[in-house]
Amino acid sequence: MRLHHEISAAWAISRKDMVTYYIKPNIIVSGILFPLFMFLAFAIGKNAPPGTLIPGLIAITLLFSASSIEPVSIPIERRVKTFDRLLSAPISLHSLVFGESVSGFLYSMGIACLPLVFGIVLFSTPIEHAPVLIIAMALTAFCFATLGTLFAAYPTENVGEVMSMLNTVRLPLIFISGVFIPISEIPQIGQIIALFSPLTYGNDMITYAYTGTSLFSPAWDIVALLIFILLFQFVAHRLYKKFNE
Amino acid sequence: MHAIEVSHLTKKFGALTALNDVNFSVDVGETFGFLGPNGAGKTTTIRILTGISYPTSGTASIFGHDIQKDTIAARQSMGIVSETSNVYDDLTAWQNMIFSAELYHVRRDIREEKAKELLTTFDLYERRHDKAHGFSKGMKRRLTIAMGLVNNPKVLFLDEPTSGLDVQSNLIIRDVITGLIHQGVTVFLTTHNIEEANMICDRVAIINKGTIAAIDAPERLKKTIQSVQSIVVSFDLVSMHQLDEVRNLSMVNDAVKEGDKFRLYTEDPATVIESVMEYARARNLRVISISTLGPSLEDVFIKLTGLQRTGGLIHAID
Repeated sequence: MRLHHEISAAWAISRKDMVTYYIKPNIIVSGILFPLFMFLAFAIGKNAPPGTLIPGLIAITLLFSASSIEPVSIPIERRVKTFDRLLSAPISLHSLVFGESVSGFLYSMGIACLPLVFGIVLFSTPIEHAPVLIIAMALTAFCFATLGTLFAAYPTENVGEVMSMLNTVRLPLIFISGVFIPISEIPQIGQIIALFSPLTYGNDMITYAYTGTSLFSPAWDIVALLIFILLFQFVAHRLYKKFNE
Repeated sequence: MHAIEVSHLTKKFGALTALNDVNFSVDVGETFGFLGPNGAGKTTTIRILTGISYPTSGTASIFGHDIQKDTIAARQSMGIVSETSNVYDDLTAWQNMIFSAELYHVRRDIREEKAKELLTTFDLYERRHDKAHGFSKGMKRRLTIAMGLVNNPKVLFLDEPTSGLDVQSNLIIRDVITGLIHQGVTVFLTTHNIEEANMICDRVAIINKGTIAAIDAPERLKKTIQSVQSIVVSFDLVSMHQLDEVRNLSMVNDAVKEGDKFRLYTEDPATVIESVMEYARARNLRVISISTLGPSLEDVFIKLTGLQRTGGLIHAID
């Protein structure tokens, strides 16, 4: 019964975020336009066929869209005091963090379907392992949704403050995770840092789903992403608790 | 068992002690007022009692559930109405109610019934499909209180429920609060409206600089400062310079102008009445009305919080 209550409340929080924030202008800019233009800036200079760039576009779309909801919604809710309503509800902090993350996850899954469909319809990009692609997208989306929730724990009412901090992490991830430059081609120090980026594993798994080749095995990518999800959930929980003291 | 029990509660923010060894209990069904100047520790106390914040030391329990160790059970019996009308502007009144019901695990089959009942009580049912964004301040306040009642709370935390509202909203909210009190709901009320606390509270606590200065029934608190009595007098002609003149009458400690009347604070009402009558005769004024008032709860509050009344204004003194 307790678990059922917690899941119901977490789902209610997610649905509230969907209705309230999915079409906010700053979320559209940060979650859709920002990754699109960033991708185009890099892709235009490359001579690769457009269809081969789809896995990378999916990866950075997942990164930016999943991590954009909570850094916008939570500071706004702090400012208008609706976040206190969530903090004082009879639910655990774990459910609150989980519910917030689910809204980012679902948003991201929806948005990432756009490059997926473009790839199929416009460029006939083949998908070799569709189930792997679904798992990769789901785990990557949830991982970065949790990362967004984690950064939103910073006790500010200013969206810009959270976004600035988040971007100092998100932007470097693009360059060290094999999205634009294969990991094997970056300097050794970069290759070591890449191991600590969840985007490395998400992108690796998505690339495998499309091409059948990858740096790590899909099983290892799944384990790595699950470890990052648990770590981010744990840290987010601790931060929300600490900052409310 | 008490509805609320607070024991040796202390909260520090770095070097600042926001609450210093606060102790009190609230009985089941009691209406308890929590008064204090801004920054006295009222909000900190409520945040700890509702489990949003944690004490540095001490304990607080709601119906026997420790708010830190058994947080969810403690919160399940609470309704919380915060000082800010924290409704979701982008949701309709109905969606706000249903969301609140879901957060408080109100059973699916009675959620809608409860939402309808409360929106009707607060005169919002006709506007249930409108987003809260377009609501007036009073309507948002009513919706906030309706959301706080959706789980039939046994204890209701009300933070400034009627501050700055229109007459209609005020009347509806006061009626509802009175109804809840009659139903046996425990009410924990913080307010700047001391007269409101005086009228509806069984007991009040006055907190100042993080320390409880007094806890008692309003009438018993007033008896502790019988020295603060006042004469309210009105003359047929009123001018501002009369304020300085009546303030200088014998045995008058202070005087304030209240509309077309003067209120003279004194420890000796009989002597002041004589002085007022002599003053009126000397100035060819006719006394329209004159009455003696005992100390108000506001007088108690001012005395215990170290504030000072000067020329109708209230100032903090060290």
